Amino acid sequence: MLQHAKGAVEAAHAAGADYADARFVIEDSESVTVRNEQMEGIDRSTSKGLGIRVLVNGCWGFAATASIEPADVERTAHLAIQIARASSRLPIEPVRLAEVEPVVATWASPMQEDPFNVALEEKVALLMEATRRMQLVRGLTYAEAGLDFYRRRTLYASSEGAAIDQTITNSGGGIEGVAVADGEMQRRSYPNSFRGHITAAGWEHIPRLGLIEEAERTATEAVELLSADDCPSETMTLILDSGQMELQIHESIGHPIELDRVLGMEEAYAGTSFLRPEDRGSLRYASDIVNITADATLPGGLGTFAFDDEGVPAQRTPVVVDGIFQNFMSSRETATTIGLPASSGTMRADGWSNLPLIRMTNVSIEPGEGSLADLIGDTDDGIFMSTNQSWSIDDKRVNFQFGCEIAWRIRDGKLAEPLRNPNYAGITTEFWQSCDAIAGREEWVLWGTPNCGKGQPGQVARTGHGASPARFSDVQVGVR
Amino acid sequence: MGGLIGPDEIRRVTGAALELSKVDGVEVLVMHEWGGLTRFARSAIHQNTWSEDTEMRVRVVTGGRTAVAATNDLTAEGALKAAKHAREMAMVAAPDPDWPGLAPAAPAQEKDAFDDATASVTPEARAETVARLVAACPDGFHAAGAHETGAMEVVLASTEGQFCYAPATQTSITTVIAGGDGGTGFAETFAGRIDEIDATVVGERAATKAASSEQPRDIEPGEYDVVLEPAATSTLVGFLSYLGFGGRALIEGRSCLSGKEGDLVAAPAITMADDALDPDTLGLPFDFEGTPRRRIELIRDGVFRSGVTDRRTAKQSDTESTGHALPPPEPEGPFPLNVRMEPGDASMEELIASTERGLLVTRFHYSNVVEPTTSVITGMTRDGTFMIEGGRIAYPVKNLRFTQSILEALTNTRAIGRDLELASEFFFSASLVPALAIDGFRFSSVSDH
Repeated sequence: MLQHAKGAVEAAHAAGADYADARFVIEDSESVTVRNEQMEGIDRSTSKGLGIRVLVNGCWGFAATASIEPADVERTAHLAIQIARASSRLPIEPVRLAEVEPVVATWASPMQEDPFNVALEEKVALLMEATRRMQLVRGLTYAEAGLDFYRRRTLYASSEGAAIDQTITNSGGGIEGVAVADGEMQRRSYPNSFRGHITAAGWEHIPRLGLIEEAERTATEAVELLSADDCPSETMTLILDSGQMELQIHESIGHPIELDRVLGMEEAYAGTSFLRPEDRGSLRYASDIVNITADATLPGGLGTFAFDDEGVPAQRTPVVVDGIFQNFMSSRETATTIGLPASSGTMRADGWSNLPLIRMTNVSIEPGEGSLADLIGDTDDGIFMSTNQSWSIDDKRVNFQFGCEIAWRIRDGKLAEPLRNPNYAGITTEFWQSCDAIAGREEWVLWGTPNCGKGQPGQVARTGHGASPARFSDVQVGVR
Repeated sequence: MGGLIGPDEIRRVTGAALELSKVDGVEVLVMHEWGGLTRFARSAIHQNTWSEDTEMRVRVVTGGRTAVAATNDLTAEGALKAAKHAREMAMVAAPDPDWPGLAPAAPAQEKDAFDDATASVTPEARAETVARLVAACPDGFHAAGAHETGAMEVVLASTEGQFCYAPATQTSITTVIAGGDGGTGFAETFAGRIDEIDATVVGERAATKAASSEQPRDIEPGEYDVVLEPAATSTLVGFLSYLGFGGRALIEGRSCLSGKEGDLVAAPAITMADDALDPDTLGLPFDFEGTPRRRIELIRDGVFRSGVTDRRTAKQSDTESTGHALPPPEPEGPFPLNVRMEPGDASMEELIASTERGLLVTRFHYSNVVEPTTSVITGMTRDGTFMIEGGRIAYPVKNLRFTQSILEALTNTRAIGRDLELASEFFFSASLVPALAIDGFRFSSVSDH
């Protein structure tokens, strides 16, 4: 099927494109949800189409069609060129693409068992049993369990000679218990909120999640939270579990290091970044124990691939080294804008109908030492928060506030009473500079964020974030 | 490229799915969309796109069991294949005791919402519109934003004999003009027809705000009286729609309005309704189950009247669907997408003049829920926040984070603007809302810009 992409590139080139690339994309997804032992939804979706991106006189144009009829492909290629010429009404500095070796390759993300071949009966039975076990807990209002599977096959060709056939499969699942009483609602999720734990893997990932085994505990915590005290409003030591660390990294490091944001390309919508190109190598982002990497080569991550949607090979990029900011995530265009020799390979598009944008790969904190129990044991007075519930951050990624599902007070190195409605707020670099301990490799989990929004028209990306629990000092918690 | 397929051809295609054998019912939802979006940054066009796609979602019902299969293959073969997939999945599903059945045949009101000129705007015309906006930038400032023109046609067909068809067009311009010494200003416009939007007006509005917001001063967090421009009001209305008015959340007791029907939940001056048929909103005349839409009064004179339902939540609450179903499957349940808040009688100048000391907020950014049952949300101000002193705009201030109950804010609303604007929340559809003057709005922290 590479011929669809190659044909589009040839049509665009023949019509006057100085550069062209095309992606023929086939996407399949399946979502199964059970609530209180009743089917909430079984949904399968398939979509395919072709997106053509061209440069004409240094200006971009993009057009996409669901039809692969040769006449429609040719019309779409001509439209992309018409759009690029229209862009020259308000031209940017002529786009210069960083060099990349054109690659001819085929790659598929590893998996042991294709989730789309697993019987639906098995999936439904798993979710039914998980919600049944949760419902055994008195006081639970509803129990929900879900599985999600995605497959994207991208056939990419460029006028520079690249021809890449890449298939990525994602699998994930999770459970959620909700308790409502007297105007209060409490929720507990497992293994993580927002549809659980999703990775680049096959069905083999699902049984390892332990959805049935953790059902009763998850539901019990939701019910017990109804009668817990509210999180106090104080400034204190805060320990975050690895699930909350995932989103803390995503929002306050992953987005600020996107070079398109830094260059103002997202200014009117998602915003910009407090980082400047000249901050590389000098800005103290975090305490010196913090090391962050953006690594598209990590096995199993939602940001894992062999080539990005510009045909650039996957890379491991140091972002923060010993607390000092080092590198952005870039594209072929933005790399040259700030004088970098090459793209860091982070351009990904949401399907065939959108143009690629800089998206997080697997942006992770490197593990420290010791266990979560060690971290808590080493804390005289503090609070431990688990599982993200909400997030908000300003347009330059400076001022943030996160809510979690549950917290526990830490007294004399031990977890004490649970606390409901916990949240905390901070300023990005002040917060990361207050990080004084990071748990070790044994606590490190490569989580997936399946719903990262960016761009206009809006695109959703799946990104990966590896994290261990970590401790921060003097944090404002219990914001009212 | 792009153009209406039309009801006859879509009826032919969907007919292949409706003829599926060995099932109790089939429903097909078709959404065909096309359009262009010209995006600009630093006063230059940097992303310029066009796409066309059709999504066909086929829901099959058999023995009280349902499943949905979706495809973008809008052919009779594609429709039948999707229907067979859905049937195969439904066979595995457990029977749904709350299944309300497919919507009965009922005529939906026609809405004149399609404009040929809007559906066929060229890339050159979009670029020219952006150029007019950019021309409003003062020296030392630059513009970023997007201009979109698009069209869609939506069909709901079912074995109950329902067949609804609605074409619609939509266009928007959104911009942030920034520059000078920390100046930034926002403006946007939405409309159903291209001749109803004026890029120069949008550009001048954002430019004026940007020029007047240079050198923002430090400010302390705390409680302030506020004047919210319509874009900021739309954040409160959008989140209240999500947290409060949805039938599923109301039934499950997790809505901030659960058990409060007939109670005073806002200032007596507040009245809002969901009305997709209002020519000034962008809603379709039927929902995604094929139930005709009608005006639903949500809050009248400050009193909570009712939420909205789809067929499932209507059955659970022993009422009729209000026509607010989302595309299946709909895990969040129904909520209103075309809210109109009734205007007051104050001009923007009068709202500001009535505020002795407070803040003028242009818009909020990246808001999210803190406590759903008390309607507490948090978010940031953005692109033009000003101190009001002695009833006049005194100086720009740095951005603040609010952490505030929506219902409390609506209860503390002192005055309502007389002009309605179609304004969008970051994640939600646009609402038709006025400016509001609210006492005692809580800001919990500040940012550095």
